[in-house]
Amino acid sequence: MDNIFSLQDRVAIITGGAGLLGQKHAEAIAHQGGIPILVDLESSNPESKAGVLAKKYDVDATGYITDITKPDQVQRLLDSILEHYNRIDILINNAANNPKVEAGLGQAWSRLENFPMDIWEKDISVGLTGAFLCSQIIGSELARNKKGVIVNIASDLAVIAPDQRLYRHEGVPDNFQAVKPVTYSVVKTGLIGLTRYLATYWADYGVRVNAISPGGVYNKQPDEFVQRINKLIPLARMADVSEYQGAIIFLCSDASSYMTGFNLVIDGGRSSW
Amino acid sequence: MNLQANTLFSLKGKTVLLTGASGFLGNTFAKALLANDARLIALGRSEKLETNFEQWSSEFGADNLQIHTVDMYDISALDKVLNRILENETIVDVLINNAHELGPNTGFNTDVGTLENATLDQWYRHFAGGLYWPAFTVQKLGVAMKEYHRGSIINISTMYATVAPNPHLYEETAFINPPGYSAAKAGMLAFTRYVASFWGKYGIRANAILPGPFSNTEDEGPNSVKKGDFFLNRLANRTTLGRIGQPIELVGALLFLASDASSFVTGHALAVDGGWTIT
Repeated sequence: MDNIFSLQDRVAIITGGAGLLGQKHAEAIAHQGGIPILVDLESSNPESKAGVLAKKYDVDATGYITDITKPDQVQRLLDSILEHYNRIDILINNAANNPKVEAGLGQAWSRLENFPMDIWEKDISVGLTGAFLCSQIIGSELARNKKGVIVNIASDLAVIAPDQRLYRHEGVPDNFQAVKPVTYSVVKTGLIGLTRYLATYWADYGVRVNAISPGGVYNKQPDEFVQRINKLIPLARMADVSEYQGAIIFLCSDASSYMTGFNLVIDGGRSSW
Repeated sequence: MNLQANTLFSLKGKTVLLTGASGFLGNTFAKALLANDARLIALGRSEKLETNFEQWSSEFGADNLQIHTVDMYDISALDKVLNRILENETIVDVLINNAHELGPNTGFNTDVGTLENATLDQWYRHFAGGLYWPAFTVQKLGVAMKEYHRGSIINISTMYATVAPNPHLYEETAFINPPGYSAAKAGMLAFTRYVASFWGKYGIRANAILPGPFSNTEDEGPNSVKKGDFFLNRLANRTTLGRIGQPIELVGALLFLASDASSFVTGHALAVDGGWTIT
């Protein structure tokens, strides 16, 4: 049996590729012989992070500084990738704003009543407009080639609501308690809609589109928070940062050739009880 | 080469018990498990399992393979077989509940299988295949899984557990997809979540696969479809991808859920249905 999980020589764009999970998605691509392209803002330093992967996996991984909320920049990204690699196979829409709430005090702005318009617009812009533009510009190239895969990174909070009790701090008045921002639920749920829309839209063009809904990754959050969230998860723990790599490989490779429009939930069971 | 990548989906060192191994999908599952280095314990009802054994062992060797012929409706016979297996195994790492009777006895493709006519016996058989066999095997094999704090349980359900068969698809055909199948397989999803919920703390994962249209066009059997049958076109057109699935296209999902590649996935119903259920 051939290795159905192989990504040999396939070129994969990962938006938000220099972030915590973005780098792991990129590494998963490289693991399977693919070529990851890390797309991110200059401040996240995608070039140097791609350089690390290039060295580790002896692969032509590169980083591109791109603001995915700007159509001309996404077009330029596609053009340079095609010029350099002459192909594009995979788009992973991973970029999203996700401010730390767990540690947060003084985040009264995050409360629904106070939520600033400019943050609403920025979050929607990165998470949804960015995914739309990359799908429109890069996805159309996949459709032209009649072959390709798009994976949208949603969240367990696209399937269930945030439990704001997780983020509470003793002794802080109610109207100053930090909360998971409303934009996070809206953006991530919107990505599931985008996933299904694109799946039927490009079905005849050989482009499969699926989503994953990851749960929270353990990243040295405060003990109290971790203890609380563990109680909400049947596996009684948060995810390790590498635990989404299997799903990325599965959905990007021919191993999922009969799947499209699907949301693969990877949440330790949090949404199943 | 990246050894780590190739081992991510590997089943090397894992013991896998597969029920319904001689069926249309079971045969492909068995081969995929053996090809990925699992030790396979295959259960099946028919003598066909012996033929399968010959084929599998000639292709993959017999070292990693044992078969047990058993009629699972006979629970005491099933109990004996599982006891015999457990005498020799410290732990079965992966349990795949795939067996289900798809034929006239369960109301498939017969007028006595319709919503109006389905019999108690048919309903009991669906209840056994969709619910009690998984419950019984989970109880038996779960003891060691709990003790060793690991295990992956995979229940093979169907897209008809989440959407109903559309009667228009079946009009003017000899095919009938009976109500007990949908109901029992939907119950199977509830059972899957129940196991995930109660045994998650022991590191045991439970998930389901929901295959879409994977018509058996290879064998002559009570639920097979002849190549070229217009019914296949109807099914294909109903999907988003515009085609029916090939059994090998379930292998990726099976290996993903069986291996450590899905270590944070539990309580999930993974649809491999060509996009059937999204429209």
